[in-house]
Amino acid sequence: MGFLNLFKRSPDKNGGRGNQSTDRGIMVFDSTSEVIRAETVIRENGWTVRVMGPPPEIRTGCDLVIEFPLIEHLNIRRLLEDAGVPPLQTVPVTGPLLEPVDIFFTKDFGAFLMVRAANMKITIDKQSSVIVNISGGGCPDVPFLAMEMVGKKLGDAPRPCSIGHTLCGYALDLAYDEIQRQYQCLR
Amino acid sequence: MSKTLDARGLSCPQPVLITLDEIKSAGEKDLLIIVDNEASKENVSRALTNQGWTVDGVEEDGGDYRIRAKKG
Repeated sequence: MGFLNLFKRSPDKNGGRGNQSTDRGIMVFDSTSEVIRAETVIRENGWTVRVMGPPPEIRTGCDLVIEFPLIEHLNIRRLLEDAGVPPLQTVPVTGPLLEPVDIFFTKDFGAFLMVRAANMKITIDKQSSVIVNISGGGCPDVPFLAMEMVGKKLGDAPRPCSIGHTLCGYALDLAYDEIQRQYQCLR
Repeated sequence: MSKTLDARGLSCPQPVLITLDEIKSAGEKDLLIIVDNEASKENVSRALTNQGWTVDGVEEDGGDYRIRAKKG
């Protein structure tokens, strides 16, 4: 009997998947540039947050929301108010229709892997990690970002956020992080 | 005689990927790639250059772009 107990699930410190959603909230902002500023401020202060797409029930704000640990609501809100980027709305994730949407889309092209974040796509050679294409956006710095990054390996290429100054650069930076994460899993 | 890749109707990054596949697999020395938008023209040209190919010229033809490239 003691042996069988080895296979019993241990209690989930987060209260189980069913309750996990109530640990998170989302912050809605007026514009994507406010999301970028808010995310930067929150991360600089040591919190882990994720930029996501808005859930179906949220009809205000822009195309991005920030998912954050709900227990830190007051602290984060105060921080953002001090920084001049208060959210329009803060909502606890209490049900499927309030679940934020992943902004990443991944497509496997065999020898190549593409990740799209919002409006930007990055594609790498799966074997070498060399960036073979960057597309999307429509911002003026996309050709520059592509010129600086295509042909270089992940890790050797400059980070989009360090050389780009538009929303496309920001979206590409998210895609860059995600494809790096996925490439690590491939190895 | 160059090989023709018709990438019209394909969205990014597919024109680039079929170009790279062709370069790697067939070992062609001359390629003509036809795309139907400017972003694909730029992306394919950049990919060719990165692979050490020379883009000999790009002709615009009724909204399509015909990219001529050779190895080396």
